[in-house]
This record gives sequence, structure tokens and C-alpha cells, in this order.
Amino acid sequence: MDDTQTAGGPPPPLPIPDNFPVTWENPADEMAFWHIDPVHFPTTVTPAMEIFGDAFTKGVDRSLGAYEMPIRLQHRRINTYFYMGNTLAVPPDQLEAQGAKAEARLKEAVGAFPDRWDNEWLPEVKEHIAFWDGFDLAGASPEALAAHYDETRERLARLWDIHFLLEVPAILSMSLFDEVYKDLLGDEDKLASFKLLQGFGNKTVEGGHVLWGLSKQALKSDAVKSAIQDHPNGEVVAALEASEDGRGFLVEFKKYLAEFGQRTDVFCELGAPSWEEDPSTPISNLKDFITQPDRDVEAELAHNAAERDEAIADARAQLAGYPQAARDQFEFLLSRAQFGTRMHEDHNYWIDQMTSDKVRRMVLGIGNRLLAAGSVEDANDVFYLTPDEIREAAVSNGTGDRRTTVTERKAEMEHFGAIQPPPMGTPPPDGEPTDPMGMAMVKFFGARPQESGQSGVVSGNAGFPGKVTGTARIIRTLADADRLGQGDILVTTTTMPAWTPLFGTASAVVTDAGGVLSHCAIVAREYGIPAVVGTGNGTTAIKDGQTIEVDGSAGEVRVLA
Amino acid sequence: MMANLEFPWLGEQGAHDARSVGGKAANLSLLAADFRVPPGFCIPPTAFEALDLDVSAPNPGTGDASYWDTGAGERFAALIGAAYSDLAGKTGTPEPGVAVRSSGIDEDGQSASLAGLHDTFLNVVGVHPIADAALKCLASAFTDRAVAYRRDRGIDERAAGLAVLVQHLVPADVSAVAFSADPVTGDRSQVVINANWGLGESVASGTVTPDTFTVSKASKASKALSGTAVSDKAVMTVPVPGGVKEVNVPKMMRSMPCLNEGKATEIGQLAVALEQHMGYPVDVECAFMGDVLYLLQCRPVTTLG
Repeated sequence: MDDTQTAGGPPPPLPIPDNFPVTWENPADEMAFWHIDPVHFPTTVTPAMEIFGDAFTKGVDRSLGAYEMPIRLQHRRINTYFYMGNTLAVPPDQLEAQGAKAEARLKEAVGAFPDRWDNEWLPEVKEHIAFWDGFDLAGASPEALAAHYDETRERLARLWDIHFLLEVPAILSMSLFDEVYKDLLGDEDKLASFKLLQGFGNKTVEGGHVLWGLSKQALKSDAVKSAIQDHPNGEVVAALEASEDGRGFLVEFKKYLAEFGQRTDVFCELGAPSWEEDPSTPISNLKDFITQPDRDVEAELAHNAAERDEAIADARAQLAGYPQAARDQFEFLLSRAQFGTRMHEDHNYWIDQMTSDKVRRMVLGIGNRLLAAGSVEDANDVFYLTPDEIREAAVSNGTGDRRTTVTERKAEMEHFGAIQPPPMGTPPPDGEPTDPMGMAMVKFFGARPQESGQSGVVSGNAGFPGKVTGTARIIRTLADADRLGQGDILVTTTTMPAWTPLFGTASAVVTDAGGVLSHCAIVAREYGIPAVVGTGNGTTAIKDGQTIEVDGSAGEVRVLA
Repeated sequence: MMANLEFPWLGEQGAHDARSVGGKAANLSLLAADFRVPPGFCIPPTAFEALDLDVSAPNPGTGDASYWDTGAGERFAALIGAAYSDLAGKTGTPEPGVAVRSSGIDEDGQSASLAGLHDTFLNVVGVHPIADAALKCLASAFTDRAVAYRRDRGIDERAAGLAVLVQHLVPADVSAVAFSADPVTGDRSQVVINANWGLGESVASGTVTPDTFTVSKASKASKALSGTAVSDKAVMTVPVPGGVKEVNVPKMMRSMPCLNEGKATEIGQLAVALEQHMGYPVDVECAFMGDVLYLLQCRPVTTLG
């Protein structure tokens, strides 16, 4: 028997498929494991996203370095997809020692992160935002614009440093609380600990609620109601302009967009318009909300908060006779996990969405110069240029002809958009991680999907308990969200914060990617709808229009008809 | 009713006599006169007889709340209620959890013990549950196993009176067993302490490898720790409503020493004081709640040559 296959040492690199050619600039890159993060970047991304990717890689390097973590995460745009590569920061024989150092650092970080966010990081984030808001994009000289571009990239890297300085302890605190809850109070109910974290609200949920409030306001005026209901999304704003009530409503709607409209339908995609630029998605949400006049989402949140307080009181009663050190540990991690839950969503507002929007505006400012100089046909074509090309466009004030380049890049994205991006490089060893941060990451991204073994049953991670039967709607992009009717079950690849208002329409949610700490599971808990996350294949195994039963406690979906 | 219906408290003269409250309660009562033992009261067999409670009938109160409204049941519950109210005062807790245990009249601290034959109820809260547990305790003296045990040892069946001890169950932060002489090496210069988080069951039953501390007996200093072996303590026993249970120790507490030097020394000094008091090397069960150290049990070290 040939046993060379099972001998020690790293496994061989994965074969490169013919339809997905890649050449590694640095041979060492092949030793990293390159994969698509299906939670954040399931689709192709524009070349301009390398601006984001570079800042992301630098930010990860600095923040994980500050926490002395033994791993790093790099980014490469490979064949138009946003790939992440896991690498080690230390030689393999030092992994364990480095892991112990990181554990000590992270323990401190779990204690310190709420205070650091409030007093150190959030003020700094606001300072960066003010920097961008204060720059005159249209009036700057080419030299000043290029310098602004360079400084923007530096600041963006710092913001992603803050992003992970915050997110690492935020996710870890939720995971550690889940562990201590299960240690002390039992693990019969896998989701019990999360009940103690629900109902606090966050920027994501808050934005959804403001939109609900607007739908109530719309219902009070027939003119407003009809302008929203009886026109296609793209004509609603014009229809509102036509009446006094409508104009009054628009003032409020624009306030909403100014505060919450920095998000895009596609996560962090610099090439995608924000809701403030194109409000089709929130208008579509409004259309749906006005069909639910009796719904009171504030009361639902209050109900969640009351359920949470009851669960906390129950847990404290159970723990009353436990050793003081155990009760202290429980209370400490509860407070950190509650803050972490809120920040896990709010950081999206302050960092992911807000800064992507500011960078998009800057790049679009360069795009406007390209358009004025006749170099492109649409200012948005600037996103099909690479970071260096964009800088060069700023320096040359948009002169030159970039139309061929743009056409080729669009064709490239379309070509690869039809191909499933494969994992590449050298896969990590099998087995679930046992270190605290590794366990936390599994809860965020989801465990490897398991086949249910039963026909007609799709299994994933339990996200929020409850059983619901309804019509499956496979929604892959927000542009398709109109098809989701009230009471339907949202079946999708992943949901980012922009998808939040749909949680007010759907009776349950099923995703291909994500774990119990994913954005989707957290928002499902805030809305109190059953969720099964990280099925791996829900959007392909379930057919649009099928009647399905979602069991959020078991993490299972049954196809009934 | 001619018989005395008083329930003597640990530390009082009435609870010092093994012939009326059993060996276990009497031992604790004598200790309670000089050391901090959690408060508790004894129900002597004479009380059960005087109340006309049928001690050989299994669990008269079980499953029937109306039992406590009539006749013997009502009188018994009233007596328990009065004592429980005193216990609440002594512990400063409105509804303290208690341990309900048998204390056999034929039991003798220095010889073969009946421990384990009779039921023990831990963390019982409230008057009726305590009254019920006391009756179940009593009934356990008449199980086939208990009767056969006494017959095999030639213990007079009629003399097999059984008292019941109702004692505050201290919700311990840390529990320990201390030996005033090393039970393995016989070294009499050190106190050896085994300790874990929570109640003492996990230490006594060996379900966990406890932390081990050694304290020098010669030193009179407030910190006299001469050795510490911290172990990875996976589980602990905790009181939960209606009983106790074994749970996982939170990860961050597992390899954290469960006693600091000051507390380990205090346990060492308690063991030394008890050894002097008893006149022989002792095996001490004790527990910290906050900064207060309670003595739970004291026996001779039986393994020394």
C-alpha cells in the first residue's frame, strides 16, 4: 500500500482549473489558502476595489499585529473576484507560543474595547469623515486631487485597522459569552445565550425603523401613498415632487437617506451607487411596508428587549448560588457581548458603509474629470480602472482615452461572473479550531456545511429559533427584492446590512453563508424571525416558489411542496 | 404530647448528645461551640414519635400538598416553619437553602459509618420542601438495604433511631478538604489542602483533580504557603434551585488558583487549631463564601500508621 499520501507535511496546492487561470506573482503565494468570503464578497468586484483591498490588507496586518495574532489575511483580486488568503505570521513551530501571546492580548482587548471605541476610535472615525467632507473635490487642482487620493488611501488603511481592532474583540466577546453561558447553564438550547444579547437595537435596525416610520407617514396622505404605490421605483421621486404632501414627505425621506443612505446594495463595492444616489431599494422597501399598516416594529423591538431582560433575570436566578468568580465572569462577558453585538452591526455603519461612500465619492470626482475630458462615456466607468490608473487620471486631469480599457474590463467581469470561483492555493488542515478566536470565527462565518443526509432537507446553522412555513423566494440581489411578498421566506446567498429592511417583510430567512454570529443571524434576532444560516446550498437546493418549513432551532429547512 | 418537641441547634447543649441527635449532628454541634459551623437544627427521633408521624411509611408528604394542612403533617410543618424562620435570621438570608441529612443514633463518628445508606437532600428551599425532605430522609432508614445493613452488623433494629439534621447549605465560592498531616507521606509538619470552585462534592467525589496547596504548620504568619499545584479544574458542583449540579468551570477559571495565599493559610490555621482541639490529626471539610471560612466537617485522619 502506498502511504506517501498520508505522510506529514503540507498538502499539495489545489489544481488550477482551465477556465480560471492564475499565475502567482510570488511563489510563496501558492502556499497560502485563497478563498472567496461568501458572506461579504460572493460576486465579482470592480478593479477599483483594489483600493479597498489594499487598505483592508494593511488594516488587517496592523490590527492583528497589535493583538499579536499568529495569522494574517491578505487580499488579491483574482479573475475579478475578491479573494482572501490566509497566511501565518510566524513559522509553524512558533504557532502555539504566538497563540498564547495573542490569547493574553485578546483577553485585555475584550475588557478594553467598549471604552476604546467610545473614547478613542469613534472620535477618530468622525475626524476622518470630516476630512473627506471638507475637501473640495470639484475645485481641487490635479496635484491637490492626487495628494488627496494618496492621503485617502492612507486614512482608509487606518480605518480598516480600527475596524479589526474593534471587530476582533467584539466577535470574540460574543463567542466567549456563548461559551461561558453553556459552561454554567448547560448547552441543551444552542441559541439560549443569544437571547440575553437581543433587543438592544443598532444602527442597522435603527435605519430600518426610520423607514418604517416613513411608511406610517406615507399612509396618512393619499397623494404620498399613491406616488409610492402606483409608480415604478425610478419614477417615485418625481411623482412625490408633484404634490405638496409629497414634497413634505421627500424632505423627510432625504433626511433618512442623508443619515442611513451610505450603504450600497453590494457590500463595500466602490462601483455601486449608494442609496442616497439611487434610492430604488429603500423605495421598494417603502412599497412593501405600506402594505402592512398594522405592523408596529417598535413594539416588536420592545418585546425582544423584554424577552431579553426576562432571560437575563432567569440566568441570574440560576446562578445565584454559583461561586462569585463564575458570576463575575458571566456578568463581565455579558456586558462585553452586549456591547459587541451592537458594535458588530454599528461598525458597518461607521466604517464599512460610511468610508466606502466617502472613497466612492472621491473616485467618482476623478470619474467626472474623465467624463469632462471625454476619456470615458460615464463617470462611473472610473471604477473599471485600477488604483494606479485612477491616480494617474487624477494627475492628468482626466485627459486621454480609456474607453477600450473600460470595455475590456467590463467584458472580463461578465465572463468570470458566470464562473464559480474555486478555492486556490494550499488548503488548511482539516478539523475545527479549538482556540477562542478560531471558534469565534467559525460562529461568524459558519461551520463547514454538512449534508443533511435526508432528501428534501437542507441543513445549516441555527440562527434564531422558531418554525415557519411559507413560500421560498430566492433573492440573489437587492434589485430582485421586489419579488419578496409579505410572509415569504427570504432565501439568499448572504445578507449584509443593506438587506435589513427585508427582515420586516420576510417571515423567515435562509442563507448559504454565515454562522450564528453573522450579520444575518444578529438582525434576524433583532426582528425575531426564524433563521437558518450557512446552508452552503440553500439557493440551489431550494427552488423559487416552493413551500418550505424553516426550523430555526434545529437549523433545518424542509421542502414541503 | 409528653415528649420534648424542641429542635436543638448545633452548638447548643441539647445537640451535643449523640444518643439524642445522632453521631454526625453531635460531632458538628460540639465543633460549632468553638468554630464557625453553618447554623443548623436537629430533629430528634423522639419528635417524630411524639408527632405520631409514621416513620416506617415511605414519604407521607410526597405528592400531596394537603398533607401539610391536616393532623400530624400540619403540626410538623409548623415546627419546621418556626425553625426555618430562625435559620433565616441566623444566616441573614430570607430563604436559605439547606442540606437535609440523616444522623443515625447508631452512627458513631469513630467507627463504621452508615453514611451513604440514607438519602441526603441538598439545597432544599422552603418549609414544605424541607419537611418533605426530612420525612424522606427518615423513610430511607427503612429501605431494604438499610435494614439488611443493620441486620448484618447485629445492630438492634429497635434502637436504630434516626435523627435528621437540617443545616444551612453555604453557597460556597470555594470548597476544600484539608489534612493536618499529609495522608500519603505521613508528614506532620504540613497541612495539605485540596480545593475546587463551588461546593465540596467535586472535591470529595474525585470527579475533578483539585488544586493542591501546602501550608507550613510551624509558621504563624498570615501567609505561610509552602507549595501550590494548580490543576485544570474541568467541573464544579453548584447549588441550583431544588438541588445541586455539576457544571463546567468557565474556561478562564479552570487553571486559575481557586485560593489565594491568605485564604489557603487561613484554612491551614483552621486545620492546626482543630488538630489541637481534637488531640489527633484531622481531615477537615471547609468552604469559603466571600471572605468567611466555614467548617463543614472534621474527622480523624484514618490513613496514618
